[in-house]
Amino acid sequence: MVNGMKRAVLAAGVAAVALTGAFAAQAKDILLTGAKPNLLVVADAESRKVIHSWTLPGGGSPFAVVPSPDGKIAYVVTNRWEQILGIEIDTGKQVFQANLSMPEKNERVKAMLAVDISPDGREIAVFESPVRMFNDHYEVQPTRVTFYPTDGGMNARPVRSWEAPRRTAQMMYNKAGDKLYLVSWNVQVHDPKTGTLLETHALADWTLENSTPPDVFGVWAQFETSGLYVNPYFAMRTDSAPDNPETYRTGMVQIDLETGAFKTTDFEATSGIIFSAASNPVRRNEAYGVYTQLYKIDLDKGETVKKIDLPHTYYTVNVSSDGSELYVGGTMDDIGVYDTKTFEKIGSIDLPSGNDMGTAWVRVVQR
Amino acid sequence: MKHLKSINAKAERLAQAADGGDTEVVMMQTVVAGCTATFDPGWEVDPFGGVAALCQPMEADLYGCSDPCWWPAQVPDTINTYPDWNADAPSAERDWRLLQTVFPGDSK
Repeated sequence: MVNGMKRAVLAAGVAAVALTGAFAAQAKDILLTGAKPNLLVVADAESRKVIHSWTLPGGGSPFAVVPSPDGKIAYVVTNRWEQILGIEIDTGKQVFQANLSMPEKNERVKAMLAVDISPDGREIAVFESPVRMFNDHYEVQPTRVTFYPTDGGMNARPVRSWEAPRRTAQMMYNKAGDKLYLVSWNVQVHDPKTGTLLETHALADWTLENSTPPDVFGVWAQFETSGLYVNPYFAMRTDSAPDNPETYRTGMVQIDLETGAFKTTDFEATSGIIFSAASNPVRRNEAYGVYTQLYKIDLDKGETVKKIDLPHTYYTVNVSSDGSELYVGGTMDDIGVYDTKTFEKIGSIDLPSGNDMGTAWVRVVQR
Repeated sequence: MKHLKSINAKAERLAQAADGGDTEVVMMQTVVAGCTATFDPGWEVDPFGGVAALCQPMEADLYGCSDPCWWPAQVPDTINTYPDWNADAPSAERDWRLLQTVFPGDSK
């Protein structure tokens, strides 16, 4: 039934496919995520089975999972956010390691949430929060974005670094690889080679009339199948009474990683919490938000079109490369599979370990 | 505020508000606002003043809060101070009985 559904969506989405060239007719989706204590989990979306649970060296827990563009290596932020490990997805062999902390400078460095790989697969950009630790005091250092070469082997060293806004929670390259988006109080666009600030899209400093600044939370990267970054925001109207439910607004930040188009869309009077969101690669106006409920949002119309209760809270949602299925994950030990059109639950991928995914990202790799 | 130095934008805004004589006081005692205003994880209220929008069950959220030091007053942070707090409890729902209270001497 699922295959039939995929074929139907394929037929309907031929135009979009021809435009994007995003996937082959027989594309197969592999899901990557992490689980406690320090597992890289590889699942086959079609069979709903975990095919590998690779044990990573160190104490865990995996958070960010970034697949290489060729889909062969998973770069995982783990070990108290102080290491990036590169693991061959099919064999579990470790081929890369970057230790972010620098003992020679008494500097403890944490990878704080935001990390991405360049489209050519040559560099990993990571947002770092360093602290110099002395016997009698700590010195908080400026936060920064640092670049590691993926051919750096087991002792990869940084090749470039510059200051970046504190609270940068997400970071992603555009499709061409000549822009790096840093989602923080505002969205800064850096030249990843030079560090030049190319432009700034206002969020906290937006000038939207009769509105407070928005609160933007999502820290999960899940834009790889659509190329459209979406992240929910919450704001309040200042021209409306605090006891009026319409005062509280939920909207979506959108960045097209191909064209660079930036947009914010108010879509509802806040009716629930949304932790993270993803958009559909075929029906590009459609976005999905997740937390204890699953939302379908029409970005063109600016409205919530469907909402269902989930069996439990999930942090992440990602979309299959043909736009037909949603994968909700994070928190506990199962990835729920939902039909993007009907929101019917059509499967579940249970982690054999039964261990929590916690904050781990769920990524989609096409094979 | 003379002994405190702002290191991020939110703190800077607080300092500016204090320096600017912004003395508006918002009564907070009547409601537990958010998860960092209570010392008992799972016993907070959501932004709507109820509980329906909290993580369900709270165990689903436990490690999502201890790993990134999100609930630093309520749950031992596993990123810095108590890295092994939940080492024997990889599933919060299944293994929560193994989770222990920690004390300063337990840190690494």
